[in-house]
Amino acid sequence: MQRASRLKRELALLSTEPPPGITCWQNENQLDDLRAQILGSADTPYEKGIFNLEIVVPERYPFEPPKIRFLTPIYHPNIDSAGRICLDVLKLPPKGAWRPSLNISTLLTSVQLLMAEPNPDDPLMADISSEYKYNKQLFLINAKEWTKKYASQQKRASEEERNQSETSTKESIPQKRKGSNINKKEKKSRLDS
Amino acid sequence: MAAPGAVLRQCPLLLPQNREGTVYEGFLTAQGRDFHIRILLPTDFQLKNARIECSWHLKKILHGYQHILKQRLHSCPDLVSFLVELKTIMEIALKNTPELHIPRPPEYYSCLVRDIEILGWNNFLFSSRVAYVDTGLSTVKLKAEDSCGRQHLITLKLNAKYPTEPPDCLVDFPVQFAVSWMPQNSLVDIHNQFLAALESLKEFWDAMDEIDGNTWVLEPENPTRSATTRRIAIGNNVSVNIEVDPRHPNMLPECYFLGADHVVNPLRIKLNNNMHLWDPEISLLQNLKDILEIDFPSRAVLEKSDFTKDCGICYAYRLDGTIPDQVCDDPRCGQPFHQACLYEWLQGLPSSRQSFNVIFGECPYCNKPLTLKTSMKKL
Repeated sequence: MQRASRLKRELALLSTEPPPGITCWQNENQLDDLRAQILGSADTPYEKGIFNLEIVVPERYPFEPPKIRFLTPIYHPNIDSAGRICLDVLKLPPKGAWRPSLNISTLLTSVQLLMAEPNPDDPLMADISSEYKYNKQLFLINAKEWTKKYASQQKRASEEERNQSETSTKESIPQKRKGSNINKKEKKSRLDS
Repeated sequence: MAAPGAVLRQCPLLLPQNREGTVYEGFLTAQGRDFHIRILLPTDFQLKNARIECSWHLKKILHGYQHILKQRLHSCPDLVSFLVELKTIMEIALKNTPELHIPRPPEYYSCLVRDIEILGWNNFLFSSRVAYVDTGLSTVKLKAEDSCGRQHLITLKLNAKYPTEPPDCLVDFPVQFAVSWMPQNSLVDIHNQFLAALESLKEFWDAMDEIDGNTWVLEPENPTRSATTRRIAIGNNVSVNIEVDPRHPNMLPECYFLGADHVVNPLRIKLNNNMHLWDPEISLLQNLKDILEIDFPSRAVLEKSDFTKDCGICYAYRLDGTIPDQVCDDPRCGQPFHQACLYEWLQGLPSSRQSFNVIFGECPYCNKPLTLKTSMKKL
């Protein structure tokens, strides 16, 4: 019963005052199934990537932490191929550091922080972790490539475009425009999409 | 006691002033400059009780290094080794205070004062174009108003070679601001160039101000004049992140949508399909509205029911007819909880201890010890 009152307040807060670079919403009006997006922070290999997450809120929330999982593949020492995250605040004490003073908003911020600052000493992906430790350059290249491959909006848009191609009738002749740059920009965006 | 010869070799300008060798006076040289200094030693020559007197100049340079000096006085066995340390410290301190290192020529000041006078008097628009001058006359802030009445500041850091070399200009611009400079130029020219640059960015700031004033900007919280990105709420937990090109503010910005696919996808498709309708003659915000076929909601304010009274665990005030009646004992925390909520959290923790009907645990907010009576109610 605590879960309902808590989520009501949390969801209201998340929609009016979302943390920087984070969006969170209910999936099909289910109270215990939320979705979130984290925008990769600048100066990280995840920059400009949009990462989708699934948040399952257990019956005993907030006495138990929510289960947070990445839906978008991410190349990170502490996130495995199933999207599971190795982060202490996502686990109950004594192993973890979850407590009811935390909430979904602070957890998502922690995940965002973990993305920027991996913790290679507590790895979930041993090979990515050793790469992060001993060959940072290669790690950055791989992480950027994954971000581009799986998390960029352009990529996703192009998939939809393919699905929607029968419905969307694209204008074939670019109209003559005022302004010098618009055509270039238009072309670029069209290429991207 | 070190032989006077050793002191003389290390610092030839420092001479003993009495037969016992307890007073030394003279000059220490560092970075090619001489500083007056006087060292008074106690009769037992214990360096840690020594007294050092010096000119205000040296005092100013060594300001902030006192603790190091004190530590060196304690650790050095004799005067000679201390003098070696002192000279090292002086060299470092001088390097870190460059403005003292090279005294500025008188032309610098006369030129600067002339410039400031011109900027200060000759005005009928606002009180003065000079907003701030530091006491060392090395930093000047000028203010200017663009044609839309926005106030802007430029910070000028002048180096000693002014006016031969231009000052470093710090501005809150989304683009680079480089001054073109000739030795005969003055701060007035910089002010004029600043004004011209403001006008060239007017369109950008107009566009951003329109967005800030008419939509619900989630990020950044208090955008600076240099910020080119905005995250604008669209509603339903959907928002769009735009990155505006400051040189072409009315062109289509880079857009990222955040939110659930079923809401975001239609928007993205609209953006792709209507892109050719983008009209650089109308404002950025109006274009976004037309292209996305939406109206941006204005800022929603969450009714702030007094959060401080609510339970820190369930976030509600009333829970099954009970109100939060447990409070963290620490006055700096004072977080209220419902008895039932706190009990449920503490009893699941291995770190909590129960003795008869009292549970000893920690406040989930501040970690301070906390006790909870489980009352007669069977829990």
